[in-house]
Formats: sequence, C-alpha cells, structure tokens
Amino acid sequence: MSEKPSANPNDGELRIGVYICHCGSNIAGVIPPKDVVEFAEGLPDVVRATDTLYACADSGQRLIKEDIKKYKLNRVVVSACSVRMHEPTFRAAVAEAGLNPFLMEMANIREQCTWAHGHDRDGALQKAKDLTASAVAKVRFLTELDMINVPVTQKAMVIGGGVAGISASLDLAEQGIETILVEKEPTIGGVMAQLNKTFPTMDCSI
Amino acid sequence: MVDAARQPKIDVRAFTEVEKVEGFVGNFKVTLREKAKYVRADRCNGCGACTLACPVEVPNYFEMSLAPRKAAYVPMSQSVPLIYSIDMENCIQCYKCVDACGALEAIDFSQEDKLVEEDIGAIVVATGFSHFDPSVMEEYGYARYPNVITAMEMERLNNSAGPTSGDLIRPSDHESPKTLAFINCVGSRDKRYNPYCSNFCCMYSIKNAVLLKQMNPDVDITIYYMDIRTPSKGYEEFYDRAREMGIHFSQGRPSLITENPETHNLYVHAEDIALGRVTEKEYDMVMLNQAAIPQPDQNHMSSVLNVAQSPGGWFMEYHPKLRPIDSPTDGIFFAGACLGPKDIPSSVAQGSAAAARASRILHSEEWDIEPTVAVVWPDRCSAETKGRACGLCVKACPYGAVKLEGDKAAEIITAKCHGCGGCVAECPEDAITQLHYTDAQILAQMRALLAEKPEEKILAFRCHWCSYGGADLAGTSHFEYTANERGMKVMCSARMDSDFIYEAFRLGAGGVLYSGCHPQDCHYITGQVVGAKRASRLKKTFDRMGMTEGRFRIEWISAAEGDKYARVLNEMQDVLDNIPPEELHEEIERLKPEMSKRLKNFPGVPGVEEAMVYSDKLVKAITSQLEAK
Repeated sequence: MSEKPSANPNDGELRIGVYICHCGSNIAGVIPPKDVVEFAEGLPDVVRATDTLYACADSGQRLIKEDIKKYKLNRVVVSACSVRMHEPTFRAAVAEAGLNPFLMEMANIREQCTWAHGHDRDGALQKAKDLTASAVAKVRFLTELDMINVPVTQKAMVIGGGVAGISASLDLAEQGIETILVEKEPTIGGVMAQLNKTFPTMDCSI
Repeated sequence: MVDAARQPKIDVRAFTEVEKVEGFVGNFKVTLREKAKYVRADRCNGCGACTLACPVEVPNYFEMSLAPRKAAYVPMSQSVPLIYSIDMENCIQCYKCVDACGALEAIDFSQEDKLVEEDIGAIVVATGFSHFDPSVMEEYGYARYPNVITAMEMERLNNSAGPTSGDLIRPSDHESPKTLAFINCVGSRDKRYNPYCSNFCCMYSIKNAVLLKQMNPDVDITIYYMDIRTPSKGYEEFYDRAREMGIHFSQGRPSLITENPETHNLYVHAEDIALGRVTEKEYDMVMLNQAAIPQPDQNHMSSVLNVAQSPGGWFMEYHPKLRPIDSPTDGIFFAGACLGPKDIPSSVAQGSAAAARASRILHSEEWDIEPTVAVVWPDRCSAETKGRACGLCVKACPYGAVKLEGDKAAEIITAKCHGCGGCVAECPEDAITQLHYTDAQILAQMRALLAEKPEEKILAFRCHWCSYGGADLAGTSHFEYTANERGMKVMCSARMDSDFIYEAFRLGAGGVLYSGCHPQDCHYITGQVVGAKRASRLKKTFDRMGMTEGRFRIEWISAAEGDKYARVLNEMQDVLDNIPPEELHEEIERLKPEMSKRLKNFPGVPGVEEAMVYSDKLVKAITSQLEAK
C-alpha cells in the first residue's frame, strides 16, 4: 500500500461543508442548531454551514449532495447522531456526489450530547460546538481511502442446532450455500425437541 | 430436524464444539472439536442393538433426568443424526455392545476427540438458552418436596414420547394429580435472580394447562402470575380459550410453598391481588415456570467469538433496534434465545433473518472491509535507521500482520491487519501510522476540544467497539452525565498513544479518561491488553508526578454499560469539582513541563507540526468567537 498519509492532503484549497442536524426535537429540543451553524461558519476553511431538519432523510442527503457540487466541497462534516447509526448513510451520500466517502466525518451531537445533557442546555450547546469543531479539525487532515476488497469463502457455519439454528441452516442451504451445523449435544433439536406440543397452535414440536 | 438432516447442503456435526474462531468476514478459520463418540458414524445404522445390550443405566439429560438411559445411547429415539455414542465416563467396558453390534463393527473404543479446521465465510450463532434452577429458592421447596416440579419436567411428563408415555403422575406416589398449581416468573422478574421477563413463560404455562385440561377436563388448574403477557399473534385468544376452559388465574406471586409430609400435598401461600386477601390453597402438584437464563458456557463462547454480552449475560447485538441480528463483528450474526429469552416463532424468524444477513456476504465473491489499516514509514523504522529492529510492533500485533526481517524496515501485511492501531502507538520511532486515525488527525481533534477552558474539560478516549457504544447507550437511555466530557474515538484502546495523553495534559485538560473494551470483549483479540499495559504505565508516571488521583482514569466499559459510562464521567467531574480552581491551575502548570519533556519527539511525527500550526489557527477562531460574545 502506498504511504497515503505522508502525502500532503491539503494541496489545493480546502472547502469544508458543515451540516447541523435537528433530528426533529432530539437535538433541536435541547440546543439551537443555528447557534452551532453560526459557530461553524467562523471556523477555518468552512465555506458552507447550515442546519437541516433530518440530515439522514432524503431531503437532508440531497442538500449535502447538491452542496458538494454547488460549493465545490471537498470535505463534509455532519453533526448529527452516532457513527454507529448513520456513518454508512452519509458516506454513501457523499460518494454519490463524487466525494471520497472517507472525506466525511460525523460529530455525535445526539447520543453523546443532547440526549445525555438535557439537564445542562448551555453545556450541551458548548459541547456540540466543540464536537463540530473537532470534526472540522479532523476532516482537514483526512485523506482519500478505498475500501479493501477481501475474497469470500462461500460457506456458512451455524453454531447451535436448536430451532433458530436449524431455521438458519435450512434457509442458507436452500439458497445453495454449503452449511456446517455444529451442535454440542449428540442430537440437534435443542430445547424445542424436548417440548410437548407448542403454543398457540398446539402442534408437535419435532 | 429431519429436514436439516436430509438437506444435502447441510453438514450436521453433532457432539461437536467450537474451539477457536480466527480471521475476519469472508475468511474465518474455525477450529472444531469433534468429540469422540466411540461409534463410527460411517458404520452405525441406528439399530439400537448396543443400547439393548448395555447393562449401565444413568440419568438422561434429555428426559430432565426423570428417566434413565444406557451408557450406549442416543438421547431420544428421534435423534438427528441417529448415531449412537458410548458415554465413556459411565461405561464399564464390558464390551457387550461390541458383541451386539456384531458384523457392523461400528463400535470403536480407540476413537479420540478430533480437531478439525474449517474455512468459513460467515457465522450464525444460535446457541440458545438454559433454565434457571429453582432449588436455590428455598421458599418453593423444589428438590425438597417431590411433587414440586419444573416446567421442563412437566414437558417430559405429559409428552407421549416421554418416560411416562404422556401420563402425568406425581413423583411421590405415581398417582394422577387432580389439583395443580403453576407458578410463573420463577427466577425471572425477580431482582434476586434475573430482573428481566423471560418472555414465553406466560404462554407456556397456559399451554400446559390447556393440554392437561384437554386430556382430563376434571383436573383443576390454577396459574399464579404477576402479569399475563400475551403480545403476539393469536396469544391473547389462546389465553381467552384457557379461561373459557375453566383454568383459574390468580394474580400475585406466591411467597411460600409448604408440604404435608404424609400426603406430600402442597400448600401454596399467596396474596390474591384481585381479592385483596392472603390465600393458602392445597394442591396435589406444583409446577414452577423457571426463568430462561444464558447458557452455562455463554461467557466462554463470548470470548471464543469475541462478541460482547449484555447485562444478564446474553449476547449483545450491534444495535437493539436497527441491527438486531448483527454482532459487532462483520460476518458474525445471532439468532434466537442466545440474544435473550425468545419463543419459537421469534427464534425461527431470527434464524431466517440471520441466514438472510449472512447470505449477503456468502453470495458475494468479494466483501469490502474498512481501510483503516496501519502503514509504515520505512525511513523512520529503527531496523533501517539503526540497523536494529526493536520489534515492539510485532509484539503488539494480535494478528501476525507485521513482517520484520533482518535490517529491513517493518512492513504491514494489509490483508492481515485489522486496524487496531496497537503497533502505531507502540512504535518508539513513530514510524507507523494508521489510516483515518493518524497522529495529525487526532491531535487536531484534541486541540479543538480543548480550545476553551481546558481545565474544565474531561477528554474521554473511547474505543470504537465498546466504550463509544457505551457512551451511545448512556445517551440512548438518557443517563445524564457531565457536559464537560469531550469524546475522542479511536478503533481500539491499543491506539491510545502515550503522546496523546501527555499532550492532553500539556494542553491543560482537567481530566483524561482512557477507556476501551473489557479484555474478553476486545474486538482485536489482545488489543486491549496492549492498551491496558500502556495505561497502567501512564498511571504510575502520573502518580509519581503527584497528579491528583482521579484526573487520569482507566475504565473498561462495554457497549452495554451506558450506566457505567455516565457514572464514571460524573465521578471524574466530582474529582475536578473537589479541587479548588487555583490548586488545579497550579497543578496543571506545574506538570506542563513534565508533559513537554515526554513529548520531545512528538513534533517530529509526520504531519504533527502541520497539525499544530493548523490547530493554532483553529483554536484562535474558536476563542475569538467566544470573546466576541
């Protein structure tokens, strides 16, 4: 692999777009997103900052995609929810607009801010600003990256031969996938095999 | 069951345990232990002659030990696969089975456990649940009073394939009971044992009551319950039917069962909430509807699979609502009660769901993985600059992804690197970096977070998999904690470079949290161990410097421990609140030169100087905005 980080990522002008999500009232019910927008506008290399009702909705994604073209953005910050929630969404959105998905960074101002600091609105607002600034700081040093392709062994293993494991194995096998069903007891069936008739249809279990 | 055995694409490996899981999505290497059955699967035809000949009888787990089995056995006549085993712990080696098997020669006493390696693209974990043992609840007398039985024992007793051919009898005198009490929530919804609802027991009691009533309409059955929960399709109607059949329902958890020692009849003491009265009723037999609990080996499986557990010990899904089938590890999925108590329809549905999730991968030739791998700057590696490799990167790597030969600079084998960042943080020459988590990126983030009043801030380093998830859960659960926390995310605690921590304190941070997965949950096998060692070295250094206890804190917080995340941050806030501001200021200023001393190589790291220059500009922009207000 090439030494991407050693190359100066900042050749040329940086143009950062910042999007502050309301998430309905989940964020906007605790802090005014416009204050964060105003703050972000004052940060170096930020050429576009705006708020959006739901960044993840079609309209929010469209806004980001259109802005990438309109403002020639080459970095995007989305201050919204957890990366565990919508990082794939926004990576895909910026990629559709022709930006490398790894040039987008999220700031978690919902789970890790407004939801946890409802008791301290001023503190939450200050934190949302800082988290946004931190994401802006990070995107400045991001580099384009490509996903790594790995080959796939087209074989499944199901661990546990109870009703869930049997169901999974049958569904996999019926799609033509070789499946190893591992069971620690001498017979598959699990608890279900020990039951008499089962509710609510009162049919037998095996 | 039979469908699975008949399906040519399913290879059933019964009496087999998972020993080791290595690799990553699309490329797992699973080691299985095929336990010795002492019967050759290729020869046994399932005739059962060995069982007939075997003189040894031991309790059969499948019959809840209500009936014996032989040492040469199958747990039940419909076993799949129908291959007998010899239970060597109880076998007396009389070889009568060998004679009975005769010319088939299927019995083979020389068999040993066999370790087999399999290449697998995706894994579905469906390890199920176990049952709470009610004998620990003295008040119900289970195991003391013969006529108090568990629900699973009831299943075998009224099952036509069971030990009594379906005749329900009292263990004390083998008489048919005329009056029965079923007690729900035994060991569940009980803070002494398991706080959760076991999900299926209400329906399960009703089912057994309906069955018994159908077999004998004269039998009198009372179900003692706290709440009846019937939230699935057809369930409420089933409950109505039970009431129409004359099954009694009494609300209130019984406090005590006593026994008449002569008749072995039982007295159930309870408060009937509807009547507002304490009752004491006599029954011939009592069934305890015991809680579903995690498998006894669930902790072990959790470390074999490197997946986390939720409170209570169940496996932890990636996201409880949006990714309820995925584990945090790409390519490993969950189905059924291993995630928590679940009835049959839900378990079957989850089995199908897990198959669908897995088949996305299994139908692909290739799969994308994150490129957040480590990369070496060869001209900084000591192997190249000093002709002597230190090898710390090799030691830190859990995957053997670092190639170090002779005086050639270390090289990362990208396909093997999982991107924990351990080698990056360990490298004393700063010769390795991690894509998407470079020193420059992290430094710039830290500078932004600590731009204003750093002494009031708590900089929290969290790993992506566990403690970042824990922080998310704190928010999702609305556990409130100090808004002075400023979170940083890296992939693993192994990436939390000493330089970051020194720099945070040099910048004047009030507190620094160093948090990651519990060692058994680490997504990178031993990444957490590398991080933990470094953290305790740092702690010692700060103690020697005279830093106030609690300003630097090490905590392992799982994605299920939102409450812990909130508590730890609030405790750290308390520490800061208890230091008078001028003393804290004095301490921070006193320690700054100590931090700088340890950071003398940091500005030389590629990109760091640039990040410093940029951060100065950023910090100015942040502070000037605040001043303007």
